[in-house]
Amino acid sequence: MAGSKRDAASTVRSFIARTKKRSKGIELDTSLYAEGIGLDSLEVAELSAVLEDELGSDPFSNGQMPETVGEIVAFYDDKPATSP
Amino acid sequence: MIELLRRGALRDASHPAIVDDDRTTTYGELAAAAESAAAYLAGEGVERFGVLDYDAATVVSLLAAASRVGAEACLYPPIDDPGALADQAARFDHRLVVTHHDDVVGRVPCIDPAELFATPAGATAADLPATRPLLVLTTGTTGTPRGIRHDWQRLLRAAGRIEPAPEQRWLFCYGPHQFGGLQILIHVMAAGATLVAPAPRRPREGLAAMAAHGVTHVSATPTYWRFLLAEMRSAGNPVPDLRQVTLGGEAVPGPLLGELATTFPGANISQVYAASEFGSSGSVRDARDGLPLSVLERGDDADIVMKIVDDELWVRSRVGMIGYYGEENDDPDGWRATGDLVDIEGDRILFRGRSSDIINVGGVKVHPLPVENLISEVPGVKMARVYGRPNAMTGAIVAVEVVAEPNADTDELDTAIRDACADLVPASRPRSIRFVDEIATTGDKIVRRMT
Repeated sequence: MAGSKRDAASTVRSFIARTKKRSKGIELDTSLYAEGIGLDSLEVAELSAVLEDELGSDPFSNGQMPETVGEIVAFYDDKPATSP
Repeated sequence: MIELLRRGALRDASHPAIVDDDRTTTYGELAAAAESAAAYLAGEGVERFGVLDYDAATVVSLLAAASRVGAEACLYPPIDDPGALADQAARFDHRLVVTHHDDVVGRVPCIDPAELFATPAGATAADLPATRPLLVLTTGTTGTPRGIRHDWQRLLRAAGRIEPAPEQRWLFCYGPHQFGGLQILIHVMAAGATLVAPAPRRPREGLAAMAAHGVTHVSATPTYWRFLLAEMRSAGNPVPDLRQVTLGGEAVPGPLLGELATTFPGANISQVYAASEFGSSGSVRDARDGLPLSVLERGDDADIVMKIVDDELWVRSRVGMIGYYGEENDDPDGWRATGDLVDIEGDRILFRGRSSDIINVGGVKVHPLPVENLISEVPGVKMARVYGRPNAMTGAIVAVEVVAEPNADTDELDTAIRDACADLVPASRPRSIRFVDEIATTGDKIVRRMT
């Protein structure tokens, strides 16, 4: 589902732009944590809430622990399409 | 309650006791209606009954009748679904419900209050019974309401000390089924004053009634006051000339006391610390937030004695409940935890929130109230509600619902709120900000419990 892939990636990017004041160098293989974007546990908690609000579900609440931006995007790729 | 109506009628039977949208009921009429209803209850051997009615004069007469013969009255909260009424009556073992609502007839044994008031008076014993119970239902933010067993003797302990003040005109902002509403009914009837009871009991109708009926005294929850101030500002209402502004029922948000003092310069501003379980501890009249530290040094004769245990306020009350309905009773005069968390600052006890409202963010305990106060002061924020939002990573995160001022840009407001909270410890910062049209309330109190 190309639409949700773009949505998930742009949701993550705008979240990082707001919380980390960073908009460059964020690729699908960029790590969410220490050596990459450097999210702490509260920021990850916040990201999961943002994803849930904007996309209806989030990988963290579904028992996953994505390591990279791409793994978050993949979560939505794997999901069957649901009507809004 | 009957003794208050008798006293009022003895003083001046023609003095208006209750003024609503359609009619005025005098102390003499209330007392006579109560004696008639008491005769019905005694004649039929009714020991306990429910009441589904929100007309203040009807409710006061029924409460007084019950207190006259020792029958246990129970005022029901508004029920949307008539089917739920039967469940509620069954839960509290009520075999009779006094109501004029036709849609519940047939679901439970009902009687119209008019029938009780038409009973010839005089068939009741002269003395008041030794035990005079009353059942109050909790507003219940979650699940089914709990029954709280009171006795009129304890509830009215402070009423004897209330000075007659027939010139006072009090606005009724609570439902009569709420404990705060019961306190106002008792206070107004004890003072021989007049209750102004518009319907429905919202700030808009309250403002109209204040203007129409010359209201001088108002007691309401902080949430009601905040809505009332907002309503006054947006509608451009003239400011009522109030003598008394009273707040109770929930913690007072920081800026509100100052706003009320500025808006009503001729009014005394008091706060009442009370709860359905322990009754009312009286009012604090210095218009400052919280309670004076001196409340911890009250003598054992006081209605309510307080102490602080592990940052929680405990009380021992002579005016509080006998116990919960259907549960084993502790000693009614023993110490009880209030669930209110407090800090001592200087000579003041300040409320930090309910223990049940604490948000556990990854093991860090966050009190919602201080965060809510901080956000409420951000320009462009009309009202805010801070609560715990469940989260897979940290158990919960601090979330906030915000009602924005009409012309505010919500993107800018979102940034301003985050900036205002940037100095808080990370766990306390709001991680979820939602803009909403209105804040969820129960019984005119903000709901902060995690849902």
